Amino acid sequence: MAIDQGNQQDTHLYIEGAEGLRSEEMVLNMGPQHPSTHGVLRLVLTLDGETVVHCTPVIGYLHRGIEKILENRPYMGGIRYMDNSDYLSPMLNETAYVGAVEQLMGLEPPRRAQYIRLMTNEMQRIASHMVAIGTYLLDLGAMTPILYCFRDREGILDLFEALGGSRFNVNYMRIGGVLHDFPPGWLHRLEQWCRTFDQSLKELEDLVTGNEIFEARTQGVGYIDPQQAIAYGLTGPNLRGSGINFDLRVDRPYMAYREVSVNPAVRQEGDAFARFRVRLDECYESLRLIRVAMDTLPGGPISTRTPIALRPPRGETYFAVESSKGEQGIYLISDGSEYPYRAKIRGPSFVNLQILPELLRGHKMGDVVAILGSIDLVLGEVDR
Amino acid sequence: MDIVSRAAQPGGASAKLPLAFQPDHIAELTRALHSLDGLVGHPVLMGGGVVGIEVDRAKLVQFCRVLRDELGFEMLSSVSGVDMRDHLETVYHIRSLAHNWLLQIKVKLMPGNPQVDSLVGIWPAANWLERETYDLFGIIFTGHPDLRRILLDDEFEGYPLLKSFHPTPMTVHDRATTQVTPEEALSGEAQRGVERVVSKRLGQGTLERLHPGTPTFGHAHYPEQPGVPEDEGVD
Repeated sequence: MAIDQGNQQDTHLYIEGAEGLRSEEMVLNMGPQHPSTHGVLRLVLTLDGETVVHCTPVIGYLHRGIEKILENRPYMGGIRYMDNSDYLSPMLNETAYVGAVEQLMGLEPPRRAQYIRLMTNEMQRIASHMVAIGTYLLDLGAMTPILYCFRDREGILDLFEALGGSRFNVNYMRIGGVLHDFPPGWLHRLEQWCRTFDQSLKELEDLVTGNEIFEARTQGVGYIDPQQAIAYGLTGPNLRGSGINFDLRVDRPYMAYREVSVNPAVRQEGDAFARFRVRLDECYESLRLIRVAMDTLPGGPISTRTPIALRPPRGETYFAVESSKGEQGIYLISDGSEYPYRAKIRGPSFVNLQILPELLRGHKMGDVVAILGSIDLVLGEVDR
Repeated sequence: MDIVSRAAQPGGASAKLPLAFQPDHIAELTRALHSLDGLVGHPVLMGGGVVGIEVDRAKLVQFCRVLRDELGFEMLSSVSGVDMRDHLETVYHIRSLAHNWLLQIKVKLMPGNPQVDSLVGIWPAANWLERETYDLFGIIFTGHPDLRRILLDDEFEGYPLLKSFHPTPMTVHDRATTQVTPEEALSGEAQRGVERVVSKRLGQGTLERLHPGTPTFGHAHYPEQPGVPEDEGVD
């Protein structure tokens, strides 16, 4: 976690005569405790006046060694630790983990469980995007939208609480299915929430679209070239904001996404505004998917009979889901015992953050927050 | 690039479809890999539509350049290290967006000399991914522009994801007693009522350290051989 010293030039402290005066670059430390870094990210910025010359992200403040922990827990016990990876979308992380184990075992969860997973995943995606949109607007000085966003997210967390027992670290997915079926009246409450969210999402959009200050601060800022986005391994809304229509729900459909068609939101502009719009449009799409899943929810069991002490056959597998931030992949190796031999978490935020120095170069200091927020990081998953 | 303007495809597969992905794509990819004569071994189909291939360490960069330029693998998704106890491995997952392929490349490293060529020159995304692998496994990526620790402290000793690394520090027993001599403490006498550092075996085979002053009741015992590092065996 050291700062590289490459840009600090040897400067003379005292020079005779005014003609010898020259401007020099300044190093500004931003974070790790900073409200706009959405966690404990530290940016070491080299500034030339107001212009960012160089940026070095310093990460690792939240490293908990989740991959090592997973190696020392049984397969069922590891699900709970996936919650803490990307703590804004635990359902999606759990789906990636249990999907990897199921793929290793050749296990197909029941159809009802797959649809429940789809519904909870899309709810989680909305919840995550609500945080991303709300905090992004708050970073740019708009105070009101975060109240709208968190109000709507609250409804989702309440529904999760009724479903799995807790709001954040739900621990709801199981290998071979899900933990509980819906409690009585849950679907009715979800329908009600969908109705209110439909209106409040339009409300939120009205607050934002056409706002000249917001557009001036985000349009044309932080442009990512499509080829550059691919080369840096960006996935999720950041990639689709650059005009690349790549979505694992469509391109490598898993679970119930093989039966439900998804229309990913794509924008061609590639700037911060486009990435923001992609997230907003994805909320509409997720809402539609929740309703489709509710209409076609099949009956039957919610879980296959799996032993508590799972022993998947020897082998390795890679399984990825489309998380709210991008490709959430799990590379899993089993040696035939109850514990994973190796569980690698390929987190989208970690890979997406790499492009930040490229984006910030040449921008003004005031745009740093506008660009950083548009990438939508979660530091729990960057540091793992 | 046709993927830019591609419309969303309707997913219409039946529920009985296994988790493996469309077989046509896989056959196409294995044909393409076979056309690269002499570069690689035999491609293996893994679960979930992933094709796995093992590449010789010396040919990795050359092979990856061919993959990117001729087969269209333009995105590096992940780099993982694996500790196979007698040697280390690096595993790369590479995507081709236009063909919707996912390829897994495995490289075995020499025992005792974990070095492999860096892929930063081919995919810029490899930068942090390789740094992370270096940080957690100690694998040296030669040619990497900025190979230093990324998640852990610079002062951190050891590479935590190696199997030889213990997840919790071994309990220090020479600080165990304040009131009695070490010999008495080690012999198991005169321990009751004395502040001490005790270690307790948890269910997962890890040792939990209790600090001096922590009230301990009943069954908190020393391990059989204090001071000797135990095997990290799993209960």
